[in-house]
Amino acid sequence: MGYPSISVSNLSFSYNENLTLKNLSFEIEKNSFVSILGPNGAGKSTLVNLISKVMPIEAGEIVIEGKNIRDLNHIEIAKKVAVVPQYTSLGFNFSVYEIILMGRYPYLSRFKGEKQEDYRIVNEVMELTHTDIFKDRKYNELSGGERQRVIIAQTLVQDSPIIILDEPTSHLDINFQIEFMELFYSLYKKKGKTIIGIFHDINLAIQYSEKIMLLKEGNIYCYGDVKDVINRTNIMSVFKSDVYIGKNPFTGKLYVSPNFNLRFYSKETKSKEIRIHVIGGGGAASPILNMLHNSGYITSTGVVNNLDTDLYTAEQLGITFVNEAPFSPISREAQARNLELIKASDLVILPCLEFGNGNFLNLAAVNEAINIGKKVIIIESANIDLRDHVDGKAVKLYSEIIAKSVLVLKSNEEILNTLKNI
Amino acid sequence: MRFKIVKYTIILLIILIALIVLSSAIGAANLSIKLTLKTLGSIIPGIKNLINASDISPQDIKVIFDIRLPRIFTAIIVGIALSSSGVIFQGVFRNPMADPYIIGVSAGAAFGATIGLLFAGNIKLISLSTTSIFAFLGAIGTTFLIYNISKIKGKISVLTLLLSGVALSSLLTSIISFIMIYRTQDLAKVYFWIMGGLSNSSWTNFMTVMPVIVIIMAASSFFMRDLNVMSLGDERANQLGVQTEKLKQVLLILASIMTAAAVSVSGIIGFVGLITPHIMRMIVGPDHKILYPTAAISGGIVLLLSDTIARIILSPREIPVGIITSIIGVPFFIYLLVKSKRQVF
Repeated sequence: MGYPSISVSNLSFSYNENLTLKNLSFEIEKNSFVSILGPNGAGKSTLVNLISKVMPIEAGEIVIEGKNIRDLNHIEIAKKVAVVPQYTSLGFNFSVYEIILMGRYPYLSRFKGEKQEDYRIVNEVMELTHTDIFKDRKYNELSGGERQRVIIAQTLVQDSPIIILDEPTSHLDINFQIEFMELFYSLYKKKGKTIIGIFHDINLAIQYSEKIMLLKEGNIYCYGDVKDVINRTNIMSVFKSDVYIGKNPFTGKLYVSPNFNLRFYSKETKSKEIRIHVIGGGGAASPILNMLHNSGYITSTGVVNNLDTDLYTAEQLGITFVNEAPFSPISREAQARNLELIKASDLVILPCLEFGNGNFLNLAAVNEAINIGKKVIIIESANIDLRDHVDGKAVKLYSEIIAKSVLVLKSNEEILNTLKNI
Repeated sequence: MRFKIVKYTIILLIILIALIVLSSAIGAANLSIKLTLKTLGSIIPGIKNLINASDISPQDIKVIFDIRLPRIFTAIIVGIALSSSGVIFQGVFRNPMADPYIIGVSAGAAFGATIGLLFAGNIKLISLSTTSIFAFLGAIGTTFLIYNISKIKGKISVLTLLLSGVALSSLLTSIISFIMIYRTQDLAKVYFWIMGGLSNSSWTNFMTVMPVIVIIMAASSFFMRDLNVMSLGDERANQLGVQTEKLKQVLLILASIMTAAAVSVSGIIGFVGLITPHIMRMIVGPDHKILYPTAAISGGIVLLLSDTIARIILSPREIPVGIITSIIGVPFFIYLLVKSKRQVF
């Protein structure tokens, strides 16, 4: 006891003189759930192959539970480390039961058959992984998800303290993904296993891991607690891809979302010295802000309550905003600041907002904008009657605004084209 | 599972024994089954005393004991060797189309035998004929050469192994053809040997190769669980604790020696080593722990049956057993190919 599960020092590896791993040193504690993330070619699979001794170590040391793996043979390693591969093809058509039983290989003597203990463990695992219901079927007749279920059962039968997941769910449907991840998570929580996972899905990793290691070009870019590792700068630097980090509303965990618009919009970006103010609230402004921001427009938003999605978007994008305390009506002071921003901009956009007592002043601000001669675009993808929660007050003011010289668009998608012509 | 092995082994042994009796009875001099049983019984130590051997003629004993039985047992041991090395080669290569000759054993043996038949005098070594010894050396030599070509940094590359097997085999075949041009008078001799046959069987031949084959069979049977795991692929087998490189090397060497020993007394008999493992895999499943012993006995049955047919079908003329195994084997092989299109192996 007392040893870390895995301790790696100065580990290097090269394929044909290209260094795939460059002098890595790290430790993975006992009973932890660590995810290794990184783009293709970062060295993730090489690292797994070295730890499971499928490939020989060139330089550096790997110590598993206090034992250097140079001193361990394959059987001894198989008792300590089990690997769930991405995909397994089979030379001959064995039955599910026969394949799962193969996982006991490291415990069996060459000269003896399986013992009672082996059958007990196999039966337990088959129940846990729900493979018992099709144990007599042939592997090659199974679906992708069922096959992976069998291979996972084979891995669990190995009964090792360390389990490495080598993208085991990347080609599976979402229901299998979640089921398997829950299974490994419960092994980590309840059985004290150490789980090391390679994932392509960053969010899947965040959801279940305790720690995350970011690999970039054979180096450890960052390794630590999820909240310290997952931020926009790190992800953008490692994956060379623009992302937003949000919070999953259901789990409260961080959530990484790629910036889907970036590449598409930036193609048509010209220098736009137009300042646009987008009235915010309830998340309706977010897609517009994101689109305009990525297209190179200078944007601002207001008035949005704290905790509102639109405020979060503005923070992520670094957009100027006017905010108000959570669940509070817009104060005079916030209204004044909002009008300041409107005055400073060339154009005001009113997204398809819902209006209640709390944010009625935002509609009033639009009216004010027209009065001081600002151009106003209104998005009306739903009828105002359905969005009025102030007994017709909003409908009344809205109709007055529409009657003035404003541009009404049916959807957010039309905004960019319209702006081009201004 | 143990029950399954015992069940199939007993069934197959019963078939084999029945076939031995039948094969002892029929031939140029037909004997009745009853007489054959009596004669066979009279040479088995335990039963000997229970049988009234007065009506058995010494000539019948001579026919059965000196002519038919050595041939029967040689057929069985050669069949066992070819079929069990077929199981090993298919297992190691994870490919049901592999056979014992895949890495050059046959071409090497043919080459050795040709040299032995044409150029070497009559050297008697460990009681085997010159041709047998040269065939054995040719087979072993070629296999080791191919094996060493494909060993890179202590690892065997399966692809190189197969390719260099094909390349070296055709080189040796060309050399044999080249020699034949200059020695047309010996063409028939070489040709007959290459086609394979058991007409030269003798107790001495049998007693020389049998121990080799039995010992290798026994030794390799301890690696059958490993072969099962190997069917998941090298990397996965490695993750489960199998020392795949060592295993491949040990098994390929053992199976090649076993095949070379068989070929040295029988010539190149095709298809037994390819088809018998196939048939048994269909019957008992892919588990090598069951497949290995059952395919071995079946190999004995298949070759003994083929040889018996070869002996009697054009009696008193005899046709090489290789022709019979191919005539039965090729249609079956094609059937398997067609079937395998529909079913994933």
